[in-house]
Amino acid sequence: MRVKNHLSVIWFFLVIFFFVINSSARVGPVYAIVNCKIIPVSSSPLEKGIIIIRDGLIESVGSPEEIAIPEDAEVIEAEGLIAYPGLIDAHTNLFIEFPKEEPRQRGRAMGSQEKESGRYPDVLAFKLLKPKKSTIESYRKIGVTTVLVAPKRGIYSGQSVLLNLNGEKPETMVVKNPVALHVNFSTARGLYPATVMGTMAFLRQSFLDAEHYNAHKSLYAKAAKGMKRPEYNPLLEVFIPYALEKKPVIFTCDNQEDIKRALGLIDEFKLNGILSGVNEAWRIAERLKKRKLPLLVSLYFKPPPTSLYVNQGKEMKEKAEKVIYPANAANLHVSGIRFALTSYGLSKADRFLENTRKAIKAGLPKEEALKSLSIYPADFLGVSNTMGSLSPGKIANVILTSGEIFEKETQVKKVFVDGILFKVKKPPEKGKAPVFNISGTWQGTVSWEMGELEATVEFEQEGNDITGTISSDYGEWEISEGYLSGNELTFSCTAMIMGETMEMNFSGKVEEDSIDGTITFTGGSAELRLTRIPKKSF
Amino acid sequence: MKKNIMSLIIWISLLVIPVLISGQNLLIKNGTVLTVTKGTIPKGDILILDGIIKRIGENLEAPEGVRVVDASGRYVIPGIIDSHTHIAITAVNEGSEAVTPEVRIRDVLNAEDTAIYTALSGGVTMIHTMHGSGNPIGGQNIVLKMKWGRPAEEMIVPEAFRTLKFALGENVKQANFYTPVLRYPQSRMGVNAIIRRELLKAKNYMEQWDRYLKVKKSKKSAKILLPPRKNLRMEALADVLRGKMMARCHSYRADETLEFINLSKELGFKIACFEHASEAFKIAKELSAERIGISIFLDNWAYKIEAYEGIAYNAAYCTKKGVLVSINSDSSERIRRLFNDAAKAMKYGGLSEEEALKLITINPAIQLGVERIAGSLEVNKHGDIAIFNEHPLSAYTRCEMTIIEGEVYFDRAQYLKEREEMTKKKPNEEKKKKGEEI
Repeated sequence: MRVKNHLSVIWFFLVIFFFVINSSARVGPVYAIVNCKIIPVSSSPLEKGIIIIRDGLIESVGSPEEIAIPEDAEVIEAEGLIAYPGLIDAHTNLFIEFPKEEPRQRGRAMGSQEKESGRYPDVLAFKLLKPKKSTIESYRKIGVTTVLVAPKRGIYSGQSVLLNLNGEKPETMVVKNPVALHVNFSTARGLYPATVMGTMAFLRQSFLDAEHYNAHKSLYAKAAKGMKRPEYNPLLEVFIPYALEKKPVIFTCDNQEDIKRALGLIDEFKLNGILSGVNEAWRIAERLKKRKLPLLVSLYFKPPPTSLYVNQGKEMKEKAEKVIYPANAANLHVSGIRFALTSYGLSKADRFLENTRKAIKAGLPKEEALKSLSIYPADFLGVSNTMGSLSPGKIANVILTSGEIFEKETQVKKVFVDGILFKVKKPPEKGKAPVFNISGTWQGTVSWEMGELEATVEFEQEGNDITGTISSDYGEWEISEGYLSGNELTFSCTAMIMGETMEMNFSGKVEEDSIDGTITFTGGSAELRLTRIPKKSF
Repeated sequence: MKKNIMSLIIWISLLVIPVLISGQNLLIKNGTVLTVTKGTIPKGDILILDGIIKRIGENLEAPEGVRVVDASGRYVIPGIIDSHTHIAITAVNEGSEAVTPEVRIRDVLNAEDTAIYTALSGGVTMIHTMHGSGNPIGGQNIVLKMKWGRPAEEMIVPEAFRTLKFALGENVKQANFYTPVLRYPQSRMGVNAIIRRELLKAKNYMEQWDRYLKVKKSKKSAKILLPPRKNLRMEALADVLRGKMMARCHSYRADETLEFINLSKELGFKIACFEHASEAFKIAKELSAERIGISIFLDNWAYKIEAYEGIAYNAAYCTKKGVLVSINSDSSERIRRLFNDAAKAMKYGGLSEEEALKLITINPAIQLGVERIAGSLEVNKHGDIAIFNEHPLSAYTRCEMTIIEGEVYFDRAQYLKEREEMTKKKPNEEKKKKGEEI
């Protein structure tokens, strides 16, 4: 009896000992997802199968006959659920925050070349990461486990980072860094280059400079003696892998002319180019098909101010947003072009899924939509050996859904990112009920350090959602992403001021007859004060 | 089997042939043909094959399948050429700096600018669309054909001169403008100085490259040789100095115009043309001697301080003094009635019909370096043609049809028909929409 007791104590310690050893040797727990339908994307679906996840990787995928459930696995009963690879969003500007810029000094003499204008190639998205828990959760909630995060400001906006949404710690989230250099056909507002033709010259010059700098460096490396050493240039250093070593350069193209500009630069400097945005890609599908370039098609359907549709009147603009842009993906598919779908331009994850459904409604086959959110982006971003499908050895980014992924009623039930299980919370409460109805006309001033501007704002409210327009001497701009929660109002707006595009974000407080808040934009901020103009009663 | 092969060959040829032929076939019959350079044919025909004028004469027969346009009672002239506009582009001035020759208008083409269609409706088939006059040295311009509906790159005319915009006077010195920040130069002497300075820099840059190439080519070439840094701004100016690119210079006053000519002689570059040149009549002798053209408004004067001494006789007077004169629109609206402006040169200064027509056809063609392919109705030139209901210099005239390379891009009758159909359709559609909503 005594001996027996003794033995059981030893057994107890042994078990504890092994458990500790084991758990310290592995990254994550072991899961066996059983009885689910499996859509591996890279191979044919399984009606009822098992997925084993170990150490953050997919150990095996198969039918119950093929796969035994390991003893150490936590079994996840997934009867009635469907397993998909975690979705990849191949371009977003969310998850990062810019440090506040010093406002530009007034009275600066023009005529001298501003070398710094629009030039942030050295900015690393990784260093700007400030992922908000709510944003991460909102992405996981729609089944996205991986995002390519890129800075947006400037002509060269910096280098992107590929993240797995496995927590909130940037270091553990990084899959690949840096991924690509990002280029926008934007302008430097008041500085050189102030027009897109200037931007093109500026881009061409910087690629030429990178070539020259690299040539000088490599010559110097061969024979330093008797040669003037190249002056160290931290910005040009950044360019070398992209301009000369075929690391990808992602051009964000707002309209079809931007696409042609990008193609021209890619040819001239033999770049490994990827085109993003490309809402008007269908218009030159024939040419793009021949080029076989990776396309990251944005699901943000508002035509940019530089689009011809905006200049053709309100009716055309609405048609572009509701019909033409949503059909872009379907049209590209018909032309036999592969692409990834991205949330670029959208500030809410829900909208991403919603707009994917719009693209499907416009004719994009569901299977293709799924591929363009999994295996295609993985391929374009050079991570197809570790991501994009459910197959043994790949990173365990797996989602379990209540039904077919793009169906409206479908909910994502469980999300594995790097083998870590995240339960999806029930849909969070929508914002607080609005305290006021702000529909109607408002008048007021925008004031910033350069002066004041009179503005008239028309709001239209539907529940929490706010739409409308801002008009001033500079033109009329549309309010997007407007939201009123309680008395807190936020909206964005893309303004065209003297031929230049400006992204603005407003956040402020609403009172019965006044709205007070701050507009932030690249390079500064402004105060917006509005008072309600009472409706005329006759 | 044979049948199969035959049908295969037919299929392949059907697929291949349209790719090879860019232009169209067209026969224009029985019009009053104003060739501009080869006189008038009262009842003439023009046969265009593959976009090129193959025959001009009387009683021509249409080869099988070729579309025939009946021009009886109408006037057939070469497509009008506008030597100075800013249409079909999304940016005009890179105004952030005073010297920006590295920027190219071809990078900001906008094939969907409706001004292209406006131009077609006025018989314009070719334009020189330019950088603005905001900078002493602006950007690289481009010549386009008004192929409405085609992609921008198909509109470019590769035969034309490469031209660089220069500008003098009020617009670039900006001393009378309200600008929040001051920019050098602020005076006419500064304008001349900055242009001179930049061109001298370019000379220096060229010498640097010449030295490098010389060493590189020499047998004793060092193994390790670093080429100079390629500078796009200097490259553009070097092309001007090498004669590969022509200067097109915006200037109003006679004094600064002469100064610019002196500069071109000093540094050895070619001026194709002065823009606006409202005081050209004062220096017609010099312009004619230097063989520099002018591209002007016919009758705009005194609309700004440097245009006070402009006169409507400028075009006729300079023409008679041997200066190559063209009339430009500089506007997306005036572009559709350049023929009216040309006609005014008959009233103000008494040009002949042919001389007046030249102001908007062959003269701008010469200024743009495209006289081999456009500007008059001659065999082997492009089939770029405008058809008017009355003599194009009549006050009552109207452009009926505009043709580029044998393809009809504007047909007034067709357009009016379509417009009528559209207006008929629209109310129905609106009713439908309302019905859906209910």
